[in-house]
Amino acid sequence: MPVMMADSRRDLEIHKYPAPLYLVVIVVALVLQAMLPRAVGQSHIWFDFPLVITIYFALGRRSPIQGMLIGGFVGIFEDALTGRPLGINGIAKTIAGYLAASVGIRIDVQNYLVRVMLNFALTLLCSAVYLFIYRVLLGMDLEWNWLNPLLQAAGNSAIGLIVFPLLDRFQIRD
Amino acid sequence: MESFVVRYRNLIVLLLLLVVQIIGLAMQVRRNATGRNVYDPADSSGVRLVRLWANALVAPPERAVQSSKTGFGSIWENYFALRHVRQENKDLQAAVDRLRLEQAALLEDARQGQRLQAMLGFQEKYLYKTLPAQVIGTSGTDQSQVFTIDKGKDEGLSRDMAVISADGIVGKVREVFPHTAQVLAINDQSSGAGVILEQTRIRGILRGNAEGQPQIVGILADQRIKPGEKVLTGGGDQIFPRGLPVGVVQKVVTDPDRDGFIRVIVKPAAHLDQLDEVLVITDTQTRFSPEQMKDMTDSQNLKGADAAALTEQRKASEIMAERLPGLTDPNAPATPAASAQPGANGLPAPSAGVVVPKILPPAHPDRFTPGNAAQPKAPSAASPGSVPGQAAAKPKKPATPKPETEPGTPAESQPGGPAATPASKPAPKSPPSPAQPENPQPQRMP
Repeated sequence: MPVMMADSRRDLEIHKYPAPLYLVVIVVALVLQAMLPRAVGQSHIWFDFPLVITIYFALGRRSPIQGMLIGGFVGIFEDALTGRPLGINGIAKTIAGYLAASVGIRIDVQNYLVRVMLNFALTLLCSAVYLFIYRVLLGMDLEWNWLNPLLQAAGNSAIGLIVFPLLDRFQIRD
Repeated sequence: MESFVVRYRNLIVLLLLLVVQIIGLAMQVRRNATGRNVYDPADSSGVRLVRLWANALVAPPERAVQSSKTGFGSIWENYFALRHVRQENKDLQAAVDRLRLEQAALLEDARQGQRLQAMLGFQEKYLYKTLPAQVIGTSGTDQSQVFTIDKGKDEGLSRDMAVISADGIVGKVREVFPHTAQVLAINDQSSGAGVILEQTRIRGILRGNAEGQPQIVGILADQRIKPGEKVLTGGGDQIFPRGLPVGVVQKVVTDPDRDGFIRVIVKPAAHLDQLDEVLVITDTQTRFSPEQMKDMTDSQNLKGADAAALTEQRKASEIMAERLPGLTDPNAPATPAASAQPGANGLPAPSAGVVVPKILPPAHPDRFTPGNAAQPKAPSAASPGSVPGQAAAKPKKPATPKPETEPGTPAESQPGGPAATPASKPAPKSPPSPAQPENPQPQRMP
């Protein structure tokens, strides 16, 4: 796994994107996340498009603050579409954005294996944070089945393999 | 100090964002009467605003996709899918005629039910007005079974309205926006609907589990609950009218959290995973609406000659049934002990459920009198005081079965049963039943 020094990577590969792309991609991710379960069934939601694009932008921008803001914004909007309190997904995705950007500074994120592993690990982490907030922080009842987060992690990894190269095409190159 | 902030600015921002969101979360949760933390469904204005923004962001694309899908579907349905419509129309017409007859038959029951409810002071709610709506989106997570419909406040929707489909209940309106609304499905973990099991009449609360299946909780272990039993709305939650189909019992599992309690997993009647169109109950009434009454009157008129003939037929059969002698004799004394005695051959005597008509003793017995012909002086094996052992000890003198009752005799004992009725003629002799050899009194066949 290629690992490079932080400074050289930052100087070389801070990806830039057209400003409207952020909004469009976020909206598309939220809409897809809201609409696709109708086609595949509510019990087969093995994907989390908002999380995938959070990880992508955090990795590409290599800025933890930007990753956190995108993650928090997307997470809160995701919460707003559910019947749950606002902020649970917000916190989970804020942490995911921060970690993704922090990792992106240190390793080569163009590597497909790294992308797959990052998506898998951060999806599981998000689920764990979600569960922690719900049960421990808020002290509320929530039945949980770890199989779904595992499948979702696998799904996100697969989606990342397709979506990341697609979004790479919209990079602004000097 | 400046270098500290610059150096740790990422962590500081992270902490700030987390703290703000945690405080926001804490403001949305409250402690209920049982001491448990629950999410307050009555959102504050700030939370509602965020939900409104998110909905405004996502709903237009969802609507556009849904419209294009509907448009394409409309073209297909209006031009290509009309091949068998004539036959379907005939079949549907026949079905409508049949259903009208059925509805008319149910009308009397419904009215009687209303009268009884009025006597009991019970206010039953009936469906009055529904509004069809299209499902345009979901929550996007399996942790929250919420979906969005394309009708909102402007169309007359409000919170806590029941949402149903043609198959059964779906959920309730959770949040209302100007042109859209969020519906909390019955398989969400935070939902709650009062339900009742149709056969066992056990009541419980329906809510979802981690797998997105509706389950009835808060039920004590009961062996009578079996898979396949229907589950209906109980009407106690003030949201769903009573008697709407919910689903069927899929399986019964023990409640891991509470000893002695079970959870009944329900297979929902409505296809919660593939919902396209739903009905929102916008109004209910304690009595039938004028429109419903008109429908019922129409359907009753449409019963026509068939129904009238059927009624006449029923009346005639009832009259006949009254005139004909029955199997039961209201004057016969209950002799459960006698019927419980075993027969001579070891087989049990007729149970108490088999009622043997009492035969009056003849006023002037002669040689034709049953029991007098073959053995004029031998006591009958079934005579009072005889015991199975004694009967078995006299194998050469088997008890002669009494023939059918004398013409006219039992008919006279039946109230309103004229002796001249053809059915009161004596039936042909039948051999003694092996199950009741010690009781030669034959059963009267009407």
